[in-house]
Amino acid sequence: MQEPAARFSIATEFTFTFVRYGQRRDIFNLLVMKVLIIEDEKALADSIAAYLSSEQYVCEIAYNYTSARVKVSDYDYACIVLDINLPDGSGLNLLKELKSEHKEDGVLIISARNSLDDRLDGLNKGADDYLIKPFHLSELAARVSAIIRRKSFGGNNLLQFENLQLNITDKTVKVNERIIDLTRKEYDLLLYFISNKNKVINKGAIAEHLWGDSMDMADSYDFIYTHIKNLRKKLIQAGSRDYLKSVYGLGYKFTERP
Amino acid sequence: MKLFTRYFRINLIATLSIFLLAGIAFYYVLWFLMIRQVDEDLRIEQREIETYAAKYQRPPEPVNVKDQRISFEISPNSERLHRFSTIQSPDRNERENFRQLSFTLPVGGQWILFKVSKSLEATEHMNRSVIIVTVLTLMAILLVNILINRWQLRRLWQPFYSTLHGVRQFKLGKKEIPQFGKTGIDEFNQLNETMDNFIRDADKEYYLLKEFTENASHELQTPLAVVRSTLDVLAQDETMQEKQSNALQTAYGAIQKMAKLNQSLLLLSKIENRQFAETSLINFEKLIGEKMSEWQELWQGRNLTVRSETQPVFVMMNPYLAEIMLNNLLGNAARHAAEGTEINIQLKEEILSVSNYGQNGPLDPDKLFKRFSKGGQSSDQNGLGLSIIRQIAEVSGSWVSYEWESGRHYFKIRFK
Repeated sequence: MQEPAARFSIATEFTFTFVRYGQRRDIFNLLVMKVLIIEDEKALADSIAAYLSSEQYVCEIAYNYTSARVKVSDYDYACIVLDINLPDGSGLNLLKELKSEHKEDGVLIISARNSLDDRLDGLNKGADDYLIKPFHLSELAARVSAIIRRKSFGGNNLLQFENLQLNITDKTVKVNERIIDLTRKEYDLLLYFISNKNKVINKGAIAEHLWGDSMDMADSYDFIYTHIKNLRKKLIQAGSRDYLKSVYGLGYKFTERP
Repeated sequence: MKLFTRYFRINLIATLSIFLLAGIAFYYVLWFLMIRQVDEDLRIEQREIETYAAKYQRPPEPVNVKDQRISFEISPNSERLHRFSTIQSPDRNERENFRQLSFTLPVGGQWILFKVSKSLEATEHMNRSVIIVTVLTLMAILLVNILINRWQLRRLWQPFYSTLHGVRQFKLGKKEIPQFGKTGIDEFNQLNETMDNFIRDADKEYYLLKEFTENASHELQTPLAVVRSTLDVLAQDETMQEKQSNALQTAYGAIQKMAKLNQSLLLLSKIENRQFAETSLINFEKLIGEKMSEWQELWQGRNLTVRSETQPVFVMMNPYLAEIMLNNLLGNAARHAAEGTEINIQLKEEILSVSNYGQNGPLDPDKLFKRFSKGGQSSDQNGLGLSIIRQIAEVSGSWVSYEWESGRHYFKIRFK
């Protein structure tokens, strides 16, 4: 047995609550969600771990193929963040091994190669998602939490944040048990914020998340502001607290802390 | 001028002049020989007359047959005369040439002038026939010569033309290198060898350069990811003051630009590599509709009015490239349009045209589509958008052009 190469703070608070209709899961499954980061670029791996760990995740890091293999075979992870190009092997082989052992770990591939073939190859070999470098950590966190939601709770699930309840399948939002009417973009925005709660999210990351490649259409991020303003207004009108904070010129933070 | 044409022109002029000269010479030689033959006949006649006159001491009775006439008269001069001449027919009704031998002979103490003439009609006739046959033969020889030359030359130059075809088909960046076969001719072998080396070298250089761009871009992705994620972690610092926060945002912006630039370069090299080979039938009218609703709010934010006038146009091309092309076209128009102006989209008869109002006059169409050429003052853009449009047009068999008309920039895509 090998000690984890790096261990960051264990999630101490648990405000993310997953509820499955009629059935409660083992509380430990919910509390300790282990994420393995396999990335040879130390600085990048450490940043990812630092960002994710302060959420409800426990992060472990493997800087190379060999140590990644040991970890993957010894533990089950809720999600594995997997770089394809490792100095001593291919991340895809690791993925194949994982699948041949019928492991249920979710896999998010992070790669510098942005080609449809690479992406399809990764997804066909059983990866759950594919993210291209350079990414925003907030985007990574959103993808990881989406994978974990899908993996752990099947299709039909609800996501709770304080008095907000998101139905991931129907893409509806309830505030104090009352459905509020959000546009598609506002819903996406809210989900993104909740997946990155207590984090400062850069406005560039938000724009990229909402508009993808076409976001460089606009020279300023003013158009994000409109959506955020509307979302905040709708939430407050429905009786929610104001969770959204603007952070100087940088972006926004969604937090339950006053 | 084609090599064949040039060669045939020279060949024809030379052959024709030789044949012409030879024909003329032949005509005169033949004429000369025939006249000599006639003259010989006339001399025989003369000898007969002389024999007769010596025997009987009187001139023979002139017997005129159709093509031979004999006449005699008392000669005014008492001296020997012997002269050949060509004369017109004495009979005015006949236009016939005669060869005449005039000679004097003392008969019975008197000088008699004999004139023996022979019609040249048959001779002329024969000469003409011979000339006609000769000319026809020469013409036939000439024609056959041309045909043989042409066929032979074509065959001889065949390797040259196949090399030319191969080189013409070749395009840098396309995977196939033309195969130049062996020929039986040294010069062509040399040419083929040189072409082959040349093309292989160029191809290798091209791929090295492309590989370099590609690798450089890929290698940049990871450090970019490191910087961006480090900024993301740094941004979480709650003790940060406004000043640091602004500095951080500046860094974010620069990284954003660099990531975009890198992405565009990678895209360009991928399009060049023809990595987007699969095509399907794209409904451009529908695609434009989708883009318009997608970007409505971005346009509204800048107070831009977008008008579209579309007809159903279907084009076979890669769906991803079609989307990027449209994105870049519309994005370009929106970016350079002044606030509150109008953007026009027109799609009809295989032509997609996007126009926006321009404050600074026409752009230089030569530089416009070049990489990193920045049309305006905006430093936010990397100057690759239009190159990408052109590259996409190139690989999908359409044509992109720029026009300036009544104060508006028009970018047009002509689908084939």
